[in-house]
Amino acid sequence: MKQRHAQRQKWWWWTLMGVILVVLLASASGSSPTEGNSDDRLFAIAAQIKCVQCVGESVAGSAAPIALQFRSEISKQMKQGRTNDEILNFFAERYEGVLLTPPSTGVGSLVWVIPVIVVAAAALLLVESLRVRRSRGPAQQPSSEDESLVQTALAQRQSGAQEDATVSTDDS
Amino acid sequence: MNRALGLTGLILALGGSLLAIAVILTGLKRSRPDLMRMGRAYSFVVLLGAALSVFAMQRAFIQRDYTLKYVAEHGSSTTPALFNVASMWSALEGSILLWGLILAGYLVVVAHKFRKRLDDSLVAWALITMFSVCVFFFGLMLTAANPFQGNLPLPGFDGPGPNPLLQNHILMAFHPPMLYLGYVGFTVPFAFAIAALVTGRVGEGWLVETRRWTLFAWGFLTAGIILGAWWSYEVLGWGGYWGWDPVENASLLPWLTGTAYLHSVMVQERRGMLRVWNLSLLCATFSLTILGTFLTRSGVVASVHAFSAGSVGPILLGFFALVVAVSVGLIGWRGDRLRSVGHIDSPLSREGAFLANNVVFAAFAFVVLLGTVFPLVIEATTGDTLSVGPPYFSRMTMPIGLTLLLLMAVAPVLPWRKASGELLRERLWWPAWTALGAVLVAVMLGATGVAPLLAFGLGGFAAGSALRQIALATKRLGWRGFVGRTNGGMVVHLGVIMIGVALAASMSFMSQGEFTLKEGETARVAGHTLQYLNSSTLDKPNRVELLARIKVDGQSVYAPKLNRYRQSGQTIPTPSVKASLRDDIMMSITTAPTESDPSLGLRVVVQPMVTWLWIGGLIMVIGTILSLFPGRRRNPLDAVSAAAPIEKITA
Repeated sequence: MKQRHAQRQKWWWWTLMGVILVVLLASASGSSPTEGNSDDRLFAIAAQIKCVQCVGESVAGSAAPIALQFRSEISKQMKQGRTNDEILNFFAERYEGVLLTPPSTGVGSLVWVIPVIVVAAAALLLVESLRVRRSRGPAQQPSSEDESLVQTALAQRQSGAQEDATVSTDDS
Repeated sequence: MNRALGLTGLILALGGSLLAIAVILTGLKRSRPDLMRMGRAYSFVVLLGAALSVFAMQRAFIQRDYTLKYVAEHGSSTTPALFNVASMWSALEGSILLWGLILAGYLVVVAHKFRKRLDDSLVAWALITMFSVCVFFFGLMLTAANPFQGNLPLPGFDGPGPNPLLQNHILMAFHPPMLYLGYVGFTVPFAFAIAALVTGRVGEGWLVETRRWTLFAWGFLTAGIILGAWWSYEVLGWGGYWGWDPVENASLLPWLTGTAYLHSVMVQERRGMLRVWNLSLLCATFSLTILGTFLTRSGVVASVHAFSAGSVGPILLGFFALVVAVSVGLIGWRGDRLRSVGHIDSPLSREGAFLANNVVFAAFAFVVLLGTVFPLVIEATTGDTLSVGPPYFSRMTMPIGLTLLLLMAVAPVLPWRKASGELLRERLWWPAWTALGAVLVAVMLGATGVAPLLAFGLGGFAAGSALRQIALATKRLGWRGFVGRTNGGMVVHLGVIMIGVALAASMSFMSQGEFTLKEGETARVAGHTLQYLNSSTLDKPNRVELLARIKVDGQSVYAPKLNRYRQSGQTIPTPSVKASLRDDIMMSITTAPTESDPSLGLRVVVQPMVTWLWIGGLIMVIGTILSLFPGRRRNPLDAVSAAAPIEKITA
């Protein structure tokens, strides 16, 4: 038991684990092409375009005729050798608000920026409030009233008189 | 007849609620316990009224009573019996009626459960809050969203039936009631939070009272969301189970704040901290259910779920604003009593981890809320149209999800107050190996990409941590090691981890294709062979079904369908899924073969591990049930943490 405990504290075990993990992640970091005659790229592009005549569906998810048209247009442009961005821009120029990814420039980019700022601010505030609290030192000393409460409770417990373990701490 | 019966029920429920508020308030003011105890009787009146209305509506649907506008618009003589029952909640007014019934049900259970303490001002104010919510909803049904509006049908008139999408799958009968049991259930802890603020008894007492109610509501909301995802997957036919649709987001938002609350409440119980935060989370959860209803019912957002517009929107938005104003006002008013008694000693402690959990969940909720309302705000301010869709949500929530997995691994092994590095190395030894094992297995199965592998590794880490906790508890307590909040919570964690891993796998390694096949031809997707055998048509009372037979991997035959509904003329595919623990093959017909072109348009989506989403959901529900059972009662005098840094306790 003690040996095992010591083993878990050895740094080289943990380093070994880390090394294996990094090697595994590095070895599998590239993506492999999927086999078969599937249309993964087509649908990956289609998933970023809103189906303009449907409600709340993407061109990839809809079975509406317009979605089928869009998909055949994407497929046509893919065969012409156009890149994903070129194809997406093609649709963005023709239909307003058709891209499901909000823009990274202009007013629309706020949707990306605001969460980062808010979360960073919240985290900073939290760290700061923790630091202030801790520098204030330990909580107030227990009053004699508190101590007598503790004593009564301990005495009750020793005499086995306590029947229910839940305490209501209502400060009414 | 049905109309009169339904309206009577609504008036009865509204009147009962109004009277109850008046009577309890008078009882409080004049210190008359006898008046305060009458709340229970009034709760039965409200339930009776709600039940009467629902009975009338169901009867109208069964009798195809088209003198009711709602039945004329959403009923049909050809709707099968089960979906006829579910037709009630297939549109705006009827779904609010279901809401009212569930609310009345919770009201009666609360009044009954606290029957011996009805003269306690805390319980009295909680009941007043619940009756007020009843007044709002039953009032809404008697004004802007009346399900019992009259109609003069022409002779021989037959209704169109509910939206075809909603009568396509049996889950439609269960998903909305489950979701509503969750949504409405959060009214109970909210009512007690308001009562605690009004009476000034803002200590930990009210928390203990509402702990199980919150867990109960949360469990139903979880089940409702998972069933909704399952329904989308089975019905929509493109392999999607979550589309970041505004209405789905609306159900996720209260779930996120509710989950944050379930965790942070433990910090308050143990250490007396985070009082304002917990009250705010409960009020936020309840307000978000109202906001969700607003988003769904008012037609401000386009969504597959959204119901028709009406004057309901402004009213719901007004109620939402009222709830927020009252909550913020009360918390501000009681601010002096809400100061916490304890403080956090070290960030590396259980309470520190819960705090981190809350920051992450709050960030999650914020991102979802922002993404949902952002297009509305931009359109209202600049007039521009832009979309915030799944690509945005996936990119923003992925780091949040990974952080949550990491927290799930570390937090359960942390002690309260303070942890040392040595202790962490000791307790995280096995979880670290399971993490490594998970990555190894994933790589051996051919997984690639840093993000999914990170998800699998962290999933293994968190699972190891949860299993370690359960193993220690069962070793000590036997089968009781599974019950109680802490141990049940670990079972819930296991379910969440399964869902997380399944999400990462199915999204990262999805493979799909669209094919045009003549009889006998085959298509290949992700190593699976699909052969189109033949097709046939079937006449059903409400629709014509086209059925195509597809032989999968040379073995079993699956039959995706294409339904054309007679009444509405809509064409809705019914996909067929070959599900297994390894991967799911979804087949969906895009175009039907015709005389001139006998080839079939077939969409095939192959996704790994989708089944684990549903298994994970089931485990989450089981874990919640286990958490509801009382665990081993901790003696409050037993030390659970390192000694407090108080110099002396004099005897």
